Parts: sequence; C-alpha cells; structure tokens
Amino acid sequence: MNFYEHTIIARQDVSPAQLKQVEEKYKKIIENNDGNLLKTEKWGLMNLSYLIKKNKKGNFIHFKIEGNGKTISELEKSEKIDKNLLKYLTIRVKKIDLETNYFEKNNDDNKNKELEN
Amino acid sequence: MKNKKIKKKNSKNNFSKLSIFQNQKFKFKKKCPLSGKGAPKIDYKNIRLLRKYVSENGKILPSRITSVSFKKQRELSLSIKRARNLALI
Repeated sequence: MNFYEHTIIARQDVSPAQLKQVEEKYKKIIENNDGNLLKTEKWGLMNLSYLIKKNKKGNFIHFKIEGNGKTISELEKSEKIDKNLLKYLTIRVKKIDLETNYFEKNNDDNKNKELEN
Repeated sequence: MKNKKIKKKNSKNNFSKLSIFQNQKFKFKKKCPLSGKGAPKIDYKNIRLLRKYVSENGKILPSRITSVSFKKQRELSLSIKRARNLALI
C-alpha cells in the first residue's frame, strides 16, 4: 500500500450542494477499490494564476489516500470524464503529513512560523 | 611625470581597497536557508515559501543567487513545478 495526495479543482460556478456530491462520489470510488481515505481538506474557492478552460477561479479539494495503483487509476478514469472538474493532480509520498494544512485561513501558527524564517 | 604615475597607482589601490571593503560589508550568505535544523519543509502546498524562490515573471531563481544547496534546489524545482500544475503560482 502506498500513500497518495490527490487534489481536485472543481468549476467555480458549482453550487455547494453539488460540491458535496462530487466529494462523496470520489469517496465511494476510493473505498470501493480497496483504498482508505485518511483525510479530506477543503481549500475553498481560490484564484487560479492562469486560465484553465476559461475559468479564473476554482474550488480546491484535497484528499489524503492510502491505497494501491488500482484505486488511483479508477479515480483518474472517472475524473477525466467529469465535467465539473478542471484539473487533478496525484502525488505519491513516502510519509504522509496529516497535521499541517497550509490553506487554513484562521490558523495563525503557520503565519508566525513563516515570518520567523 | 613620476608623480602622476604614483598618483594613478594610489588611486587604483584606493579603489581596490574600497571594493574589498564593500564586499565585506555586503557579504553573501553562504549558508543554505532550507537545510539544517529548524528549516521549513519544502512542499508544493506551501506557496508562501515557494514565492520567495520565484522571480516576478514566475521563473525559478538559480541557486547561485538564493544560495540554496543542490539537493534542496532539486526538491524546490520539483515542488514549484507541481504548484504550477495546480495553478497555485
């Protein structure tokens, strides 16, 4: 079993109810293909630094997954077809970090740490 | 004539000394800011850290300017490219 970090960018005009559906849809796909979802992070609506399919903003969702190659290939297969999504990225990591969330808005600890550096 | 030559030499010497002095004053950081104890972890999600090592046009800065070690520069360039893929930078 490997650890993966998986991020999805959804369209800007997707409603919050639809976004939950998208999230749960991929949750099921992961769990049906003997994967294990460790954590989900919602980074929220963020500005894209360049246009993707004529969109300026995107909804970011970040998954931390424990699984094998089959789960990832099944995930990406269905994400390619999905019209609500703009882009996705999977990265295999040796050690998974469940604590730090760089995109939390209310967390002042991260800011202070970076200011010191 | 002799005096003039001496003056020229002196002026050159002064100039060279001045440059040495300036070098000492604005000494280049030799230590790598990303290795050693308490250094921040390089990650494609940590945009604030990556922004420091990217020029205004979005290019990756060379390690001879930022004095990052070779090993860390490789990690940096990988994580910057990942962040570019996600349109974070």
